Amino acid sequence: MTRMRLLRTLALALAFALISARGAMASPSVDAAALYNAGAEALARRDLGPAVTFLLAAYRIDPRARDIRTNLGIARARVQESQGSEDHASHPAPPPIALSWAESWYLALAFVMAGALISWLAAMRPRSTRLLITGSAFFAVGILSFGALFLRAHEEAVHPTAVVVAPVLEVGPAPDERPLPPYLLGAGDEVRLGPTRGDLVQVRVSGNAIGWAKRSGLWRVADAPRYTGNSGV
Amino acid sequence: MRAGIVTGRVRWIGALVTSVAMAAFPVVGACGTSPGGKVSIEASLDQSAVAPGGVATLTVQVRSAGLNLPDVTLPPLTADVERPNQPVRRTPVTAERAGTSQSFSMVNNAVERSATTVYRILPQSEGTIHIPPLRISVGKETAQSSPLTLTVSRTAASQSQAPSGAIGGPAKAPGGRPEVFVQATVDRSRVFWNQQLLLRLRLYSRVDILGDVDWKPPPTTGFWTEGLGPPRRGRVQVHGVPYEVMEIPTALFPTKTGRLTIGAAQVRVRVARVIQPPDPWSMLAMPEVVPQDLALASDPVTVVVDPLPPGAPSGFQGAVGDYKMALHVDSLTVRAGDPVTVRATIRGTGNIATVRDPEIRARGATRQYVVGSSTKVDRSGDQLQGERETDVAFISEQPGALTILPVAFVWFDPEGGRYRSQRSDSVRVAVLPGAGAPAQAGRVGQGIAAAALRRKPGPFGSLSPDPPPASVALLGLSALAYGGALAVAGSRRKRLRDPRMARLGVLESLLAQDLSKADSLAARNEPARAAAIAEHALLRGLGIRYDVDLAGVARAERMETLRSRGADDAEISAVESLLDSLGAIAYAPPETRVQDARQAIRAVKERLERYHRELAS
Repeated sequence: MTRMRLLRTLALALAFALISARGAMASPSVDAAALYNAGAEALARRDLGPAVTFLLAAYRIDPRARDIRTNLGIARARVQESQGSEDHASHPAPPPIALSWAESWYLALAFVMAGALISWLAAMRPRSTRLLITGSAFFAVGILSFGALFLRAHEEAVHPTAVVVAPVLEVGPAPDERPLPPYLLGAGDEVRLGPTRGDLVQVRVSGNAIGWAKRSGLWRVADAPRYTGNSGV
Repeated sequence: MRAGIVTGRVRWIGALVTSVAMAAFPVVGACGTSPGGKVSIEASLDQSAVAPGGVATLTVQVRSAGLNLPDVTLPPLTADVERPNQPVRRTPVTAERAGTSQSFSMVNNAVERSATTVYRILPQSEGTIHIPPLRISVGKETAQSSPLTLTVSRTAASQSQAPSGAIGGPAKAPGGRPEVFVQATVDRSRVFWNQQLLLRLRLYSRVDILGDVDWKPPPTTGFWTEGLGPPRRGRVQVHGVPYEVMEIPTALFPTKTGRLTIGAAQVRVRVARVIQPPDPWSMLAMPEVVPQDLALASDPVTVVVDPLPPGAPSGFQGAVGDYKMALHVDSLTVRAGDPVTVRATIRGTGNIATVRDPEIRARGATRQYVVGSSTKVDRSGDQLQGERETDVAFISEQPGALTILPVAFVWFDPEGGRYRSQRSDSVRVAVLPGAGAPAQAGRVGQGIAAAALRRKPGPFGSLSPDPPPASVALLGLSALAYGGALAVAGSRRKRLRDPRMARLGVLESLLAQDLSKADSLAARNEPARAAAIAEHALLRGLGIRYDVDLAGVARAERMETLRSRGADDAEISAVESLLDSLGAIAYAPPETRVQDARQAIRAVKERLERYHRELAS
């Protein structure tokens, strides 16, 4: 009976590891400095769309760098200013204790490994229920973190983050849909993308699809290295 | 309208009265009365001929002096077809009771009641329907209506009424004078591909309509459909009969060529049928309104769609209609880096939503973006109109000139039967140097300090949110380790829950802790304490071995208990001897006390180890 339970546990763990490995695809390493420099130069020439794109990409790799956070805050403030927002003086700078994607994964992994280690210590000692509960709690926190990160990665894969690079981007219904007044997005606005149809792509804001826009007016943040020549890709 | 006179109890008198009445009033109903004048019944049809599938209304009025009002039952009806030298063929006819109204009056202490019952007769095939006399009786008074005849025939029904016209064009009403009918018409039967076709779906009614009309539009496979505003209402004369008309106009644009069919529209409507009281002078006799649900359908319409003529000029992208194009440049002077927006507006009549945007290009632009396009449609008239705007922004980074190249738009004019085009002039935009020098590194306008550029590369990382491969592998290993730990812990816990294992565990604890402590005390020259601990451990181990509690039990009772639990006399005496030797250590000579204690502790240890082996086996 004990052997069957052990085998079942091992099979479940192995299946989980295999499912996890599906999403683990080696991705190219990108130079955050090259992205940052491209963003800073775009910001200097007031090209807000590319500036926000490059700086967001650099922020993903090096989120605690002061220069990246500063310039990203400035770029976002300039976007608000260009759209007539009143409170553009306060820069919405990202928080200084953020973690990159890889760091988040490894932090979750650290919890999982600590949970497994503590659980083994508890298993080796008699009457160690509290220790076993502590190990299980660590393991659960790690697994939940992994799950949350998987959901976030899935959302990014399905609805990638993009930035409007056209001066004004009109988001309206598809040609075969009923005409409706379009939404107007300005350069530097951050949105998410949905499915594509011809040269149109669905634009999503706050989880809702607001219409379709020309793909040429949007840059995906994940594609930012393609627009700079020395980013290490 | 045809009517019958009622016959009374004396049949020949009734027949005479009937003949007189028929001669005097050939088309108007007359009321027949019983000989005593207390009961009368009258049956009448609203028409003498009806087409198959149509509806005829039979009204039966009954009057009775007194409170007793007899009921009338309509017998089963048949449509009879008579052919020479052939037996008469009878087809059942559906007759529905639509409603009944009753009235009550009292004049000079004389009470009179009356009732009017309406039947809907729904013949499906041609023939003659003979409605037999309807008979009622109250006490000794008896009356019956005269027989009626309803002819079911397409020709007879069409000859009885002739339709004549409707709003906005001729209306072809179905045979007879139906109270409600639906008609679908198109403004032309032959069009070009993508040319507008106006479909009018009309509901004619000469009775009140209750509630909303449920319209199910016709199938329009092969057409692009655009509704033209809300339903329109009006009043028209059809064959001299006034009708209320509700119209739903729809613009159809063929997307295929050849013969296309617009299917039947389905309309469900509830009408109010009014049943007049038999006695108009009675104060209590109010007309009764009976709602009736009707399901109507229009006839399919077929149109011929011709392909566009060959020889379309280059640039033609399928626009059909009557259009004009306008080009607007928002500024003829811009600074380098600032956008100039060019707007092309196409305005006119046709399927504006499907018009492709014209190509707008510029010479001297560093970058260009399609800002977007919008469509405005006007559905207020019979023609679909609107405008489509396309905005393209051009940016030149270098001072100089930016030239908007001519923009062309080509469309097909279906009324003229030819292709037409419009072409704008080129527009020159002056590009001035940018505002101030290029922004210095490390500074951004409006006094906001930006961070300077980096000189060293790195750090390097991935923009993908996918987990690093190493983390996934470690996660799998950790999950395996955690599962293994749970399995081991579960197994251990299960083992500890076994009573035999629990006793073994206590024995191990005695050996590992108590006796070790006793040994160390003896080594530290405290033999009395060591002997006491060893004695306690021995008694506890003995109790575990024989599953009995021996704490605080006197020697004799202890020996008896052990014997009852299966211990043999040799074992008991050995244990008692060992206990005696442990108790005597406190009184042993000082020079041998430690040695004796260690020897006794060893003996206790060997005994407990034997107990452990016996329990484990």
